[in-house]
Amino acid sequence: MSQGAGTQDTDDSDPDEGDADYGNAILSGVEAHVVKREEYRCLDAEQVLERQREAVRGVTQVLQVTQDDATQLLRAFKWNVNRVNDEWFGDEEGIREKVGLESSSSAPDEASGMVDDGAEVTCSVCYDEFPASKHTHVGCGHNFCATCWSGYLENAVSDGPSVLDLRCPQEGCKRRVPEPMAKRYLKGESAERLDVFKWRSWVDDNPRVKWCTGAGCEVAVLCHGDRGEGPVDVHCGCGASFCWSCQEDAHRPVDCETVKKWLVKNSAESENMNWILANTKPCPACKRPIEKNLGCMHMVCSQCKFEFCWMCCGKWSEHGERTGGYYACNKYSQSREKEGASEEEKRRAAAKQSLERYTHYYERWAAHGASQTKAAKDLAEMREAKILRLGDLQNTPVSQLKFVLEAMEQIAECRRVLKWTYGYGYYWMEEDGLRKKFFEFIQGDAESTLELLTEAVEKDLEEFFTEEKSLADFADFRGRLTGLTTTVKKYFTTMVTELEEGLPGVGSEVVRAVSLEATPAAEEPPKLRRSARLA
Amino acid sequence: MDTNRLAKELREIQSDTKSGVTVEVLGDNLAHMQGTLKGPEESPYEGGKFYVDIQLTNSYPFEAPKMRFITKVWHPNVSSANGAICLDILKDQWSPALSIKTAMLSLQALLSTPEPNDPQDAVVARQYLDSYEEFVKHAKEWTAKYASENRKDEKEEKLKEMGFGEAAVRNALSRAAGDEQQALELLLTGL
Repeated sequence: MSQGAGTQDTDDSDPDEGDADYGNAILSGVEAHVVKREEYRCLDAEQVLERQREAVRGVTQVLQVTQDDATQLLRAFKWNVNRVNDEWFGDEEGIREKVGLESSSSAPDEASGMVDDGAEVTCSVCYDEFPASKHTHVGCGHNFCATCWSGYLENAVSDGPSVLDLRCPQEGCKRRVPEPMAKRYLKGESAERLDVFKWRSWVDDNPRVKWCTGAGCEVAVLCHGDRGEGPVDVHCGCGASFCWSCQEDAHRPVDCETVKKWLVKNSAESENMNWILANTKPCPACKRPIEKNLGCMHMVCSQCKFEFCWMCCGKWSEHGERTGGYYACNKYSQSREKEGASEEEKRRAAAKQSLERYTHYYERWAAHGASQTKAAKDLAEMREAKILRLGDLQNTPVSQLKFVLEAMEQIAECRRVLKWTYGYGYYWMEEDGLRKKFFEFIQGDAESTLELLTEAVEKDLEEFFTEEKSLADFADFRGRLTGLTTTVKKYFTTMVTELEEGLPGVGSEVVRAVSLEATPAAEEPPKLRRSARLA
Repeated sequence: MDTNRLAKELREIQSDTKSGVTVEVLGDNLAHMQGTLKGPEESPYEGGKFYVDIQLTNSYPFEAPKMRFITKVWHPNVSSANGAICLDILKDQWSPALSIKTAMLSLQALLSTPEPNDPQDAVVARQYLDSYEEFVKHAKEWTAKYASENRKDEKEEKLKEMGFGEAAVRNALSRAAGDEQQALELLLTGL
């Protein structure tokens, strides 16, 4: 660690130091777990540059090399300062050769020396003759004329970041073209591209940093945590959420491996699934096609006014706590095998059932995914325009309407989590039993809890745009929505942790009592009742 | 493209008659050439004349020339189906200090010393490693069948018997890389 001599705040600015990990080790088990989850930092271009400069400065000072050589060394060792130092002091000459730097025996200033002879020399690229003074080499003695150098470099820049490792044009020569030399022959846009490649290399070549996956987003995400172990959900300021470990969309509580399997399965089965992707379903009562245009699963047919659940197309009145009913459409029960069926029939039934089982999970995964997209869109609309109007209508400064945005952010996040609980269920809940029952119970509970919040935003909030409401009404709504948001957030955080740990509480007496009770009314856990009251 | 350098390269190749390598520009487009190389002595390709298609991009010589065998070759680093070549200097190891001639000479050297561990044609490479004698037999057969100079004279005679002029026949055969059928078509369409 001491190698970062000269830097003042080593822990903050040097990505290669393990200080954050040491910090973890001091904490007790539970806290360490929490800290690990938060361990990433979003850096903009300026911050990336600053960290890059910091690393280069450190190496320049310790190894007494040029900034360009230091950059190249750092790139070769994936921006790990400690490794650069170790390798360098272990075998300086070997490293110089490997990275393409000049051997230490020659004078440092000769790196891109001119030939000072008066004689005519043939450039071995264009075959023209030039006075020797017009030729340049990169310290290896292979001379080329200025036009050819510039052509060589321009062509290399157009090939992409590999220009940073460009070698002497002579066949087989391993000497690298240093940056100052490249800059001498590159003009305008090409020179700028070289600079861009250079600063981006701090991210591109650095295993601890990854680019945000958001479209057009230039934020780099530095992860302090244990690399490659478990999913790390990153929420970037641009609105993108992705998993640092596998670059897929954020997917806690499911692990990366399962996500990969699930996505592959989805693409493989997509032909069977095309009908699911269709955006419409017929109304279960009047059979008119219905498009789902709000995130909530509670559908009301605009024609016949039939209320139903989008997931199972069952009557809504049989859902949710409203009538004391049970929110059951997250359940998948295996159909009973017919007695006396032939082997062929059994096989066919099994195949059908396996497809049905997959369809069940996929349909719900996709539905929540669509709702997630919708929620993100609504949030963006609210943030950009609607919130100002709401402020006007309610005579409230926008700064005090944050609770609306927070509620909507929470909805989007919950949709994402719910979506992945179906990927989780497909792989981890294969056998019927207590665990599955409990899993489906908390999943259903989470869904109904979220529906309350969604309804509050999509229906109750809308009323403040369209109807005359008193200030007292709005204050009341604020209290209700804030409370709901907090409850939902807490519920989902707990659920994610529990699922990641594989539902450790399933064996306990309390759980058994909950999941084996037959009457739905008695099954509602305290959390849900609290949220129901809030609603 | 550096036409100045290209002109010098071509002049140099034409003045050299010893290396067994020739390069000609096809038509008036400098970017498209055709080369020939003699099968190296003491190799299964001895006695053969191999045609190579050469295409240059605008970035030549900073980008490698694209080369492909037109004559069918049985060789671990050459595709037996389309003549694609697996050779490092035609890819990432290209240097602008190399030239079309040095690349052709490298191809000639490749015929003498195959690299079966970095194959272009997995079937041929497998045979080279597992049953070398069969490989040699197969490569010789292909050389005789597709790359033989004598065969070329026969073809020339045949086409001339059909009533085409000698110069036209030679030109057509050269452009069709020795493919009799294709040469005939060229002659018939008068292209």
